[in-house]
Amino acid sequence: MQYMLLIYEDERIYGPDRDNPAARERRAQHIAYSRELGATRLAGSGLKDSSAATTIRAAAGKQTIHDGPFAESREQLAGYYLIDVPDLDAALAVARKVPLSQDGAVEIRPLLAPG
Amino acid sequence: MTSAALERVFREASGRIVAALASRFRDLDLAEDSFADACARALEAWSREGPPRDAAAWLYQTAYRCAVDSLRRRRTEHRFAPELQREIEHPMPDEWTPIPDERLRLIFVCCHPAVAPDARAALTLRLVCGLSTREIARAFLLSEPTLAQRLIRAKRKIAEAGVPFEVPGPQAWPERLDAVLSTIEIAYGRAHEDAAGSGPHSNYAAEMLDITRVLAELLPHEAEPSAMAAIVRFAEARRPARVDAQGMMIPLADQDPASWTESLVAAARDYLDRAVSLHPLLPRVLQARIHAAWCARRSLAESPPWSQILALYDELLKVRDDAIVRLNRAVALAEVESVAAGLAEIEALAAQPFDDFLPYHAVRADLLRRAGRSDEARIAYDAALALVATSAERLWLERQRALLTE
Repeated sequence: MQYMLLIYEDERIYGPDRDNPAARERRAQHIAYSRELGATRLAGSGLKDSSAATTIRAAAGKQTIHDGPFAESREQLAGYYLIDVPDLDAALAVARKVPLSQDGAVEIRPLLAPG
Repeated sequence: MTSAALERVFREASGRIVAALASRFRDLDLAEDSFADACARALEAWSREGPPRDAAAWLYQTAYRCAVDSLRRRRTEHRFAPELQREIEHPMPDEWTPIPDERLRLIFVCCHPAVAPDARAALTLRLVCGLSTREIARAFLLSEPTLAQRLIRAKRKIAEAGVPFEVPGPQAWPERLDAVLSTIEIAYGRAHEDAAGSGPHSNYAAEMLDITRVLAELLPHEAEPSAMAAIVRFAEARRPARVDAQGMMIPLADQDPASWTESLVAAARDYLDRAVSLHPLLPRVLQARIHAAWCARRSLAESPPWSQILALYDELLKVRDDAIVRLNRAVALAEVESVAAGLAEIEALAAQPFDDFLPYHAVRADLLRRAGRSDEARIAYDAALALVATSAERLWLERQRALLTE
């Protein structure tokens, strides 16, 4: 099964330009982690700060463009992995090792298409 | 066969068959529906020809066939489903095929941490114990549609999220086994609340004996499953002594050991011995030892084992420091040391989170009464009575409150 691992973190610790020591260290961890995952990882990337986000909202069929992320909250979608594993337990085992701040979350979502 | 006898055959076969089908076809709904179809066919066939020699085997074969038929129908409906082909080509079980025991797998599926906690116990009772939605709804004080909805959501989650039909490896047990045991505790708690054992829960106390036996047998090297099996047996052994002729609850220290069920106590001791030999200081093992200390009492003439109970609660507090343990320890402390000491312990627990917790008010009321603080005791009894759900407990609390002097 294919699962999306959605990483939510308080992005303020990395600064707006993602270039402070904390951000560099985290990036190195993700690179090492991706290498470890090998063929299990189908895709994945970090995302730029949510201040770089633009959101299209549809209300009653009418679309409007907004500055900012879908939801304003302390924790923002900070990156994702797309993985291919046999089942949820295997996905959980992979997700548990995702480099993560002290406070953060990894949401594990199966893909609709079996792929 | 009478319909009650049929009911019993169906229920006894249910967990094993549903588990075997679920594990074979990786589909809980298919397993449940096929078993229901098989039961419907059994009603028809057995009323004509009488029940077969091995009713469970008959039900398994029939349910298996129903499952394969449904898969065939699905395949015709969705022509592009080559993955179903494999299932259908699987050889049919015959009369001599033993039903594989996959209940442990099913228990781990139902109690997976990815399943909502409030659905795990209900799902386990439904699929592994074969209780009806109505029975479970009554035990959980929920309406039948609400409970049915919860079960549907949980089954859908299991299917959609890809929860595996596997017993997890030992490295995952600390977390996974605990989820299973907590689920069984919740399920059994529901059964145990009904002191008289004649209410809606009576049926499933028996199921709890069965499921804890299965778990202990299948995980013989783990201490806590055996401890759980012991706890349920000790508690069930005392059931006949838990209410008096008027239907009033009798507190543990006043129960007559002569009316405890000896065979259950003996079975409990066997499980406890194994658990203690594996790991004597795990929380559930200590809880089982507390039960054992009570059940060692042979008659009302013997004084209750309070100091032993207090010592065990001291041990338990080291590994599980929560309010319930502290509350129980305070009760023992009041007996061993003084009412004032017990009361001081209880008052040290912040009252806030206990507003809706009946045992807190009941214990506090009792100690306040014994300390001669009647006015405060009366308020505490009223708080307890506002929360009480069973008539046995209500009668007891009312009688205690009536003992208060003006």
